[in-house]
Amino acid sequence: MIYVLYSIVFVICVYTGRHYWFTLNRLFGFQRHPYIDIDTADWPPVTVLVAAHNEERVIANILDALMTVKYPAGKMLVIPVNDRSTDRTRQIIDKFVEDFPGRIQPFHRVGGKSGKAAALKDAMELVNTEVILIFDADYIPGAGLIKQLVAPFFDLEVGGVMGRVVPMNVNANLLTRLLDLERSGGYQVDQQARMNLRLVPQHGGTVAGVRLSALREIGGWNENSLTEDTDLTYRLLLNGWKTVYQNRSECYEEVPEVWPVRIKQIMRWAKGHNQAMMTYGFRLLLGKHRATLRERIDGTLLLGVYAMAPVTLIGWALALAVFYQGVAPLHGVIAVLSLTAYAALGNLAAFFEIAAAARLDGTRKRVSLLPFLILGFAVSIFSVSRAAVSQLSDLVTGAEFHWDKTERFRKVL
Amino acid sequence: MNHFLAVAVLVCTVGLLFMLPLLPAFVELRRKSDALPLSVVQQNAGEIRHFANSFRDYIKGLEPIMQGCVAAGTFGTGILPDGEEYVVLGRLDEPLVRALGQRDATHAVVIAVGTDLIAPPHATFSKDIYAGANFQGGEKNNYRAILGEKDVHLGASSRVMRWVHAVGEFTADSSCSLFGRISSDSLIRLHANCSFLRLNAPRIEVGHAVNREQGLPDSGIPSNAGVLPRFLHDGDFEVHAGQIISSNIVIRGRLLLRSGVRICGSVKSLDDMVLEDGVSVEGSLIGAKKLSIGPHCTIHGPVVAERELAIAAGTRCGTWEHPTTVSAPSIEAEEGVLVFGTLWARERGQVVAGP
Repeated sequence: MIYVLYSIVFVICVYTGRHYWFTLNRLFGFQRHPYIDIDTADWPPVTVLVAAHNEERVIANILDALMTVKYPAGKMLVIPVNDRSTDRTRQIIDKFVEDFPGRIQPFHRVGGKSGKAAALKDAMELVNTEVILIFDADYIPGAGLIKQLVAPFFDLEVGGVMGRVVPMNVNANLLTRLLDLERSGGYQVDQQARMNLRLVPQHGGTVAGVRLSALREIGGWNENSLTEDTDLTYRLLLNGWKTVYQNRSECYEEVPEVWPVRIKQIMRWAKGHNQAMMTYGFRLLLGKHRATLRERIDGTLLLGVYAMAPVTLIGWALALAVFYQGVAPLHGVIAVLSLTAYAALGNLAAFFEIAAAARLDGTRKRVSLLPFLILGFAVSIFSVSRAAVSQLSDLVTGAEFHWDKTERFRKVL
Repeated sequence: MNHFLAVAVLVCTVGLLFMLPLLPAFVELRRKSDALPLSVVQQNAGEIRHFANSFRDYIKGLEPIMQGCVAAGTFGTGILPDGEEYVVLGRLDEPLVRALGQRDATHAVVIAVGTDLIAPPHATFSKDIYAGANFQGGEKNNYRAILGEKDVHLGASSRVMRWVHAVGEFTADSSCSLFGRISSDSLIRLHANCSFLRLNAPRIEVGHAVNREQGLPDSGIPSNAGVLPRFLHDGDFEVHAGQIISSNIVIRGRLLLRSGVRICGSVKSLDDMVLEDGVSVEGSLIGAKKLSIGPHCTIHGPVVAERELAIAAGTRCGTWEHPTTVSAPSIEAEEGVLVFGTLWARERGQVVAGP
């Protein structure tokens, strides 16, 4: 039992060290933004897929924004992927198609498997451009975003591109403010550090792009995946393609405003991530492919992020057990475990990463909310652990994963 | 002391101490003093002419005064709505112009001229300058920003701190230091030893570049060939002189393209990359470290080096019809280099005297 506990403490310390490394790199290291200066080019044709399932609250905002972005006329086609919506999403899309002839080609999906990956997979029959951008319907791209996300595809090593997500409904309540901090740490520090260090920046499935030939090479969208973005990241990596992160390609999104929605969201992410870990973890670390050693190590650690929640809970239980059994003088180990557990799993962006991110973003006072992250941490660790347990029981019972769409909070237009 | 009271005091004290770090958090949660979304400028498309366009709008109110001064041959002074002092010049032989000519003078006023403006040498202009026609700057001047509705010419060893936009041609004599953004709607020409950061124009000549508009010989690849295959190689790689490669190349090591090589796709190297004399690349050229482009090369797509970029004389990047971007933290371009589009040195760009 004691050796299991030591192992858990060791793994948590590895994650903590990784977070420190990322933070210090972001503050003092060489920053890679190789493609952001490409402002003039013979821009390639691009297809923008907008994933939408019952999005009447938000779909008009993104279509409006896409119709005003700066991209050469005739080179951008928007395909709203209306996945079995039962609200007014279809009517809103069709109105835009009428208003902007030739610029929007709707894909109204009325049946088939549920989930974003399945909908995107079906929509691919309409796509014939080498560069594809993907947005969820609650995002609002700025005027220069399309060019910024297309620019990395001039690099033939790049298979996927990820931009930065910025919450727009920060002001709503404590949850949105915590999610704003979490996103800030996750993107401003975590993702950019992985970009700087040539590790594994993660494709986020929105404010993102993928190269058609790379997608075809890896077998297209995986409709069985709960997190098609994580799945895509690893399949690209295993096939010799890179995913790059563009920190300055920022896009507003709406974050959950109530805890049940947040819990559902993070549970889906955890299940999808764990699914990817089971599918690609071993192969990534030890298999024969083109990923570098540092990509193998970081990619494996990234895959294990959500598995760390139940592992930490087990660690806590073991620490208490060995303490009361008087097995060994473990005070130091318990202290390290407690400290690193918070540091390594503060909603997946450790608190020092968030503090550094707030500094890099030039936001001063919101960092004082940092102590409240313990609340988000507590919710996450139990939700993610619950997701893992549910996933294990699904494995035993053979139950199928099902897709939970994230609820929107914007007022209906 | 009563034991119960002592325990209660202890619990309260510990509780308060525990809550103390949360105090700023509660204050911020209640006051919402920093609760706005992170500022993402939705209309910002990275347009290099952004400041010039804003300044043109800003100075629009002075247009009637400028026209009046030109017609009457006088000058006018005043205060702009934001409190900045301005001087509007109507003709070039005024006492004010002569005052501008004082050696080592500093002029902390916005200067607007409806006609040509000739700035005397050895002067510092710490506010923006608007020239309704041509702008001709003397040597060793310091400028904050210049907007010229026709050509802008800077004398030798001048410095620009923020931006210049010329509707006509922009030329900088030798040893100018151009910090910030320099743009032109027709041509930028920099002479030897000029330093620069961000340049954008339909045509950028480093020194006197000769346009080699002749097309490349037929590669034998049909124009409807679609997406070219990707050749991925781990380790160093060399393409022999005169070879024609009809694929995209990704090399995870050093790459050497010998003289006369022609790549009908794009090229990427994860280490240093060297292009010898007369290499042509029809797609992009991306180097993760140092990229050295030899003389008389032709690159059609974007050129990006993550560390250093050296471009030798006679090389052309982009075409008039298909402008492109050449970008690196540090760029050294020999006189005789021609770029159509953007030349962007994030940290340091330098014109090097030709061979």
